[in-house]
This record gives sequence, C-alpha cells and structure tokens, in this order.
Amino acid sequence: MSEYTVLGKSVPRVDALEKVTGAAQYGGDVHLPGMLHGKFIRSKHAHAKILNIDTSEAEKLPGVRAIITQDDVESGRRVFATDKVLYLGEPIAAVAATDPDVAEEAADLVKIEYEVLPAVQDVMEAIQPEAPHLHSDDTKDGPARRVLRTELRKLERDDSQDHSARIAELNAQMEELADEVYYNVSAETHSDAGDVEQGFAESDLVVEDTYVIPRVHQTYMEPHVSVADVESTGKVTVWASTQGPFAIRSGIAGTLGIPLNQINVIATTMGGGFGGRFGVALTHVPAVLLSQKTGRPVKIQMTREEEFTDGRPAPGCVIKLKTGVKNDGTILAREGLAFWDSGSVSGASIGSTIRLRGVYKFPHLKVDAYGVYTNKSGTAAYRAPGTPQVAFAGESQLDDIARKLNLDPVEFRLKNMRVEGDPVPAGPNEPKVGYKETLQAVADAVDWKNRTKGPNQGWGVAIGDWTNGCGPGGMFVSIHEDGSARIFHGSMDITGTDTALAQIVAEILTLPYDEVTISRGDTNSAPYATGSGGSVVTFTMGNTAKLAAEDTRRRLLELAAERLNTDVESLELKDGQVSTIVADPPKSIGFGELAAYSLSTTGGPIVGKGSFARKPSTPALAAQIAKVEIDPETGRIKVLKMASSQDVGFAINPMAVEGQIEGGTVQGYAWATMEEMQYDEGGNVNPGFVDYRVPTTADLPTVQSVIVEVEAPDGPFGAKGVGEPPITPTLATMANAVADAVDIRITELPMKPEKVVDALHGNGK
Amino acid sequence: MKKHPVSLTVNTDTYDLLIEPRKTLLATLRDTIGLTGTKEGCSTGDCGACTVIVDGKAVTSCMMLGVSANDKEITTIEGLASRDQLHPIQQAFMDKGGYQCGFCTPGFIVASKAFLDENPNATEAEIRHALGNNICRCTGYTKIIEAVMSAAEVMRNS
Ligand code: FES
Ligand code: FES
Repeated sequence: MSEYTVLGKSVPRVDALEKVTGAAQYGGDVHLPGMLHGKFIRSKHAHAKILNIDTSEAEKLPGVRAIITQDDVESGRRVFATDKVLYLGEPIAAVAATDPDVAEEAADLVKIEYEVLPAVQDVMEAIQPEAPHLHSDDTKDGPARRVLRTELRKLERDDSQDHSARIAELNAQMEELADEVYYNVSAETHSDAGDVEQGFAESDLVVEDTYVIPRVHQTYMEPHVSVADVESTGKVTVWASTQGPFAIRSGIAGTLGIPLNQINVIATTMGGGFGGRFGVALTHVPAVLLSQKTGRPVKIQMTREEEFTDGRPAPGCVIKLKTGVKNDGTILAREGLAFWDSGSVSGASIGSTIRLRGVYKFPHLKVDAYGVYTNKSGTAAYRAPGTPQVAFAGESQLDDIARKLNLDPVEFRLKNMRVEGDPVPAGPNEPKVGYKETLQAVADAVDWKNRTKGPNQGWGVAIGDWTNGCGPGGMFVSIHEDGSARIFHGSMDITGTDTALAQIVAEILTLPYDEVTISRGDTNSAPYATGSGGSVVTFTMGNTAKLAAEDTRRRLLELAAERLNTDVESLELKDGQVSTIVADPPKSIGFGELAAYSLSTTGGPIVGKGSFARKPSTPALAAQIAKVEIDPETGRIKVLKMASSQDVGFAINPMAVEGQIEGGTVQGYAWATMEEMQYDEGGNVNPGFVDYRVPTTADLPTVQSVIVEVEAPDGPFGAKGVGEPPITPTLATMANAVADAVDIRITELPMKPEKVVDALHGNGK
Repeated sequence: MKKHPVSLTVNTDTYDLLIEPRKTLLATLRDTIGLTGTKEGCSTGDCGACTVIVDGKAVTSCMMLGVSANDKEITTIEGLASRDQLHPIQQAFMDKGGYQCGFCTPGFIVASKAFLDENPNATEAEIRHALGNNICRCTGYTKIIEAVMSAAEVMRNS
C-alpha cells in the first residue's frame, strides 16, 4: 500500500509519551479535594437469605460519613441485594469514609445475619430439578421437547381438523422426554439450517464429544474504579475508567432516574477492558449514591480480590457437539448443544453458539444454546465474546476427524471453507472474505508442509472467525492558524485507535503525522460515540474520521480558491498546502494562512464534521499454528513456536495490529493452559494472582504475527476490526498441538500440568 | 491512628511526612505525595504494577510500608526522564510499541531499569526471567521484550 504516506506505517502512538512517563491519568489517579473513599459490604455466602443488616457499630467509627443499602435507592432499581444474596461477594451495602482504610474497617463492622441456602455452581447440576432454584419461572424444554412442543402448539391452535390422535402421541413423547426439562434457564437460542438427521445419515463418520470450557476473568490490569461528585444543584460528574462513557451516562440516568443532561461522564485513560469494562453496575452507581448522600466527591476502587468475586468475567460453558463427514473429508452436518454458565443474572454470550458453524460449508446445522443460572456473579464480554469457547469445541473436533480420516488438518480445513458468495448456514451469504488466504498465510509462515517434530512434540492448527461491530459516532476536525489539525471526539482508545484516527486524518489532509493532534471530550462536550468494544472503533470512528477530514478538505479548498482567485476543481491538497494541480506558475497557500484567513470570512473557522452510523462489516479470520513439547513427567506444555495470522483488511498501523495479535494470542494461550475461576459451593476460591495464574514473560516465546490484508469494502481504507479475532482460535490450537504431540485429546480446559499427566496415564503412557 | 514521621527521598526531592504505620509505600507515593505514575494492580505483591526502586533494588511498593522506607532513596517512573530526554528504556517502549493500555508500563520500565543497571549484558532469557513478576495483560509480552532488549543495547553503547 505504498501510495500512502502515513497510513500503513508503524508510527508511535499518540499517547506514547504520557504512557511511558507515568503521566497518563487513569481512573484511580483522580483525586479531588474533600474526596471520600467508598467500600462495599459484600455477601459472605454464595446463596443466602438476608435476615438483618446492622450498621450501627460501623456508623460510630470516626471518619465514616455514610452507609447506604438498597433502602437509599429512591428509584427502586436494584443496586444492592436486599432479601437474598445470589453469590459470594454480592454487594449488600456501601460505606463512605475519609480514608480508604477507615472505610474498610467500617465495612467489617457492618453485621449481617444470613440464613444460608444450598448453592449450585455447576451448569449441568443447575439444570436438574433437584438443584436450588435461583429465580422462579426459569424452566425450559430441551431441544427435542422443544420441537415436539412447537408442533403441539400449532396443532392445538388449528381447529380446521381433528388432531387429537397426533396430539396424544406428541404428549406421550413429551412425557417420555420428561428428563429433558432444564431448570435455572436464563435464556435460550436456537437455529438450524438443512436437516441434520439427514446429514448424519449420509455421513461416513460421525463424531460426538463434550467440551468443557472454564469461566475466566478478563484480568484488565486496572481494577474497576470511579469517582463521583454530585453538586448541591443535583449535577452529577463521574470520572470513570470505562470502555463506554456514553453508556455509563445513560446507565446512571436509567438506574437512578437522573435526567441525562445532568450527568457528565469524564472518561479517564483506561487500564485495559477486553469487554469487561462496560457495565454501570460495579462502581459508578454506588459512587454516585454515596456522593449524593454525603455531598462530597467519592471514589470507589475495587481490589483485585473484589474483581474476582464481583467482576463480570467470561462465561464458562459445556458444549455437546456432533459432526458428520464423508470419507473424502467433506463436512456434511453438525449439531451443537451448549449450556452457558451465566452466573446469577441473565446475559452470557449464548448468541455466539451459532459460531459452531465456523467458516465451513455445513449443509446441515442445528444449534441449541441455553444460559443457566448458578451462584456466581454475572458475566460480561471478553474479547470476541463466546467465540473462543465454541471455536475450542468446533476446531478440536475437526482435528480429531482429520486424524481419523488421515487428512492433513490444514488441507481438510481449506477444502471445506466458504468463499465469497457461499451460503452461510443460518445466515446471509458470504461477502468478500479472506478465510483461505489467512489459513494459508500462517501455514506458509511456519513452512507447514515441511514441518518436523521430535519426541513428545506436536503441531496444532486452528482457526476462529469474528465480525467486528459497528456503531454511531461523531467527530470534528479543526485547522489551527499554525496549519496543524486537531481531532475532537468522544470515543475511548484502548488499543491505539486514536493513533489510527490521527493517521487517517493526516493522510487525507496530506499533513505529517505529528501535525495532527487528538483530544477526547467528556460526554458533555463530545459528540456521541459508540462504546469501544466489538472491535468497533477503527471501523466506525475510522469512517467518521474519513468523513470529517474530507469535510475539512472541502472547506480548505473553498477558502484557497477564494484566496488564489481560481476554482476548487483546479486545486489539490499537497504536503500540508493547497496547490494548483496544473498551473503556470504554480500557486499554493498553507493551511495556517487559510485558517487565519477563515477567521475573518463569513464562513468562519475551519471545522470539518464527520457523523457516521452504520455500514456493513466484513467477517475476519484468525488462524494459528503452535508447536509444543510436552514433558511427560510433569505434564508441562512448552510452546516452541506460536504463529498467528489475521485478516485485518488493511493494517493502518502494523505495529498496533501486531500488538493486538500478540496480546490476543497470549490471552487465548492462557485460557487453554492455566486460567480458570474455580468455585466450590461457597463461591470463588481463587480470587488472586497466586491461585489464578496469568501468563508472564517467562511463559511464552515470541509470537510471530502474520498480517493478511483482504480489503473490507466498507472499512476505512479497507480496514476491518482487529482487536478481538486473535483470541478465538488459540484454545483449540493448543489442544490440537497437545493431541499431535502425545496422542491425548483434552476436552476440558485448562490443560494444567496435572490434567495432562492424568490424561497421559489414562492413555497407558 | 497515630501517625509517624518519615523522611523519604523520592527522585530528587526529600519529603518529610507524617503517615499512619498501616499505609504502604505505594499509598504514600500516590495519595500523600501525589506521584500517581506508580500503579496499583493487585496490592498483594503479585503483578508488579507498583514497582519502584528503593536504594537501587526493585521493590513492589504495595508490599512495603511507608514507614519502612524512612531515610531511603526511591526512584519512581516520574524520576526516569530528564527534562529534555527520555530514559532509553522509555524511548524503546515508545518506539517498539511495548505498551497498549499502559497500566503495567511504569512497573515494567522501572523493573527493567533496576535489572539492566545491574545486568547490562543480560540475555533474552535472563530478561524474561527478571520481569517474571510483572504482569501485562495487553501485549502478550513480545514487544515488551523487544523494547527491553533494544534499550539494553542502547544503554550498553552509551
Ligand atoms: S500492586 Fe503491587 S504487585 Fe500488584
Ligand atoms: S499494556 Fe495493558 S497491561 Fe500491559
């Protein structure tokens, strides 16, 4: 893409200096005069009735300014538990005090009487009739009963003829399937295409497995924090470390019944999010309530332990999967049934279960998914939410099939991949996609065909697909009298998106990269911007930036035409000036001069506007190949090589793109091999980095990233969303590499050393 | 709670403070002195975000009491750059893209400085080992290691 001067270059990020010097202001760095510190009083049980809350001792502690419970929430919306707690660590009350240590002491002095109830943590137990029920009215039919019931309902409504015989038959069949009634169901989703029964009947090989994927925490390094300041006029200001300031604003307004225009959310620099930093629930609303009550600014900062007990991690799930293929490797049918552990509230990423179809031509597909309540905190998004889990199941099973049929796992996948125009099971036809190119690229990068391995070594390949989101956003670009440009917008930068926006504007305005600066406004000042999640920012705000820069260019050309006494058509932007395209002698005028001139024109200062809502986004593939070595004594998996390719459409900043690929791959590696939130009946038992291991520099070699560019027709300069895809294949990549190394198929993650050793012994080794 | 007098030299300045004995060095730096570049990621000594240099040694400041730092010399991320020049490690993190959200970055840079000052010829394996107490959740470490390796070279050559 050499026609660009700034795009496609690995320029340092716009926030580089403040981040390497410690100057960047994160949520926890906000310190206001007179500020109080808030702490939660949390449930000590996973499931219990609250009999009494006694705050009297705590209130007497010097320095305590307020203690609030659900009684203080005038809107009546649930902020704290009242009658019943549903998980260990659920907030019951909050205290504000002059010092964080005093607040903690006070929290310990609040006495709560409980009647402990039996709890359930395992999804497969939770769906049984004898399991404790978290909410009433939560029973659903399983897939087979559902089909019967649908027919039954139809027949019962139709009185054009007598269906009584069939109705009796259906009722009898329902009765036979009495076991297939699931309890504690929070949500369900079903889709199908073709006829799976027919597909399995036509298959030469049908494989069935059950996969178990644990709940993991996003583990952004900055714990949740907010500072709220409610003025006596009722005006609310919240400093929040969040992926979605505008969502926080509407969340606070909706929860507390405060008019939107009375709330200003100032988003600080954010210490990671990965999808876990959207919700309004954790700290923002309680901080506002405490500030309302005390008339003082209040900061609430969660500890790492609180993150583990009351964060909103990625859901674990159990997936039953069946796939049928012909002997020549043609995939015919797949049937999946998933139970997602949504914790105590509805909302696990069950919609992603459809991604069990991968990017393959499945003539026959049936997918049923249920969200299941357990006594855990609720869940939230984590980098391509739901997809790493289903890709683990789907790609592990395909690998087994390739092995059984003696097919090369790369060739087998390539053979079945969809290309542009192919029908997508239960979806619209494929647009222009780069699936094959992406898998081929990673295979080439490791010289797959000539791969070799020693004893206990193995190679694993897997893919994962994702489509970036898209949302509304607005932006201004102004030109200063020194000729430089400034972008003003309200979207949050986590991955380097501000840098990409500056590169886009610089390219269009023909300015050097460092002549474009960027400011983020708060929700009072900036135009609306969609939240930074779903790999949405470069796509959405990139398109917005393009529009704003083009609008700026238009105005620059108009002003220059006036000044140079010519028409707009004979002018172009070049090297930060407006110049005549062909003219003798050539004439040109600098942006600075035009900006100064604009101040005295009737049109006024140069402000370009971009406003964008939606364009179709294009699916992107990530493909990975790992080479591992297993120590049969300890079960330790050593990664010898990890290559990760991704179709990013167009890499606006290759260094930032590589950073996403590397980071996502390592997160996936960790999910595969070490991470797991563990629960017993009392709740989470590993709420800290000692027992919840995340990878460090010592764990992995360098990740080799391979950038593939198959242009997205509607992306800015062809770019696709980048942040999420790289985590999607890794769980399966690792499991497939282990299978190749020591001939064991681990279907339950994480593959901790002890599990590998057990599997090896079970395998008679 | 009764407060104790302490004298801390942080970067170039000396602070005579009265602090509660339960306050950590991290809380003292951030809340009392107002140097917020040092971050709190866990408060249990397990993430390295709060790393500072105390008398030449890298220390997780969430695990040290402020009163124990009495009369000691402390370097924080704010003390690395001179007025007009970044420390080579800072420059390398910038050039190599060794950070994303940046929350772990002060800890990594300070830990790297303490290590490279003592081990200018460190190998990649040694650097990976030395930084094993610092967690970064964004980068996957590839570019962090590249940055530290290249900074080590610059430091050796200057
Ligand atoms: S905050 Fe000190 S090690 Fe994590
Ligand atoms: S850059 Fe975000 S934790 Fe390291």
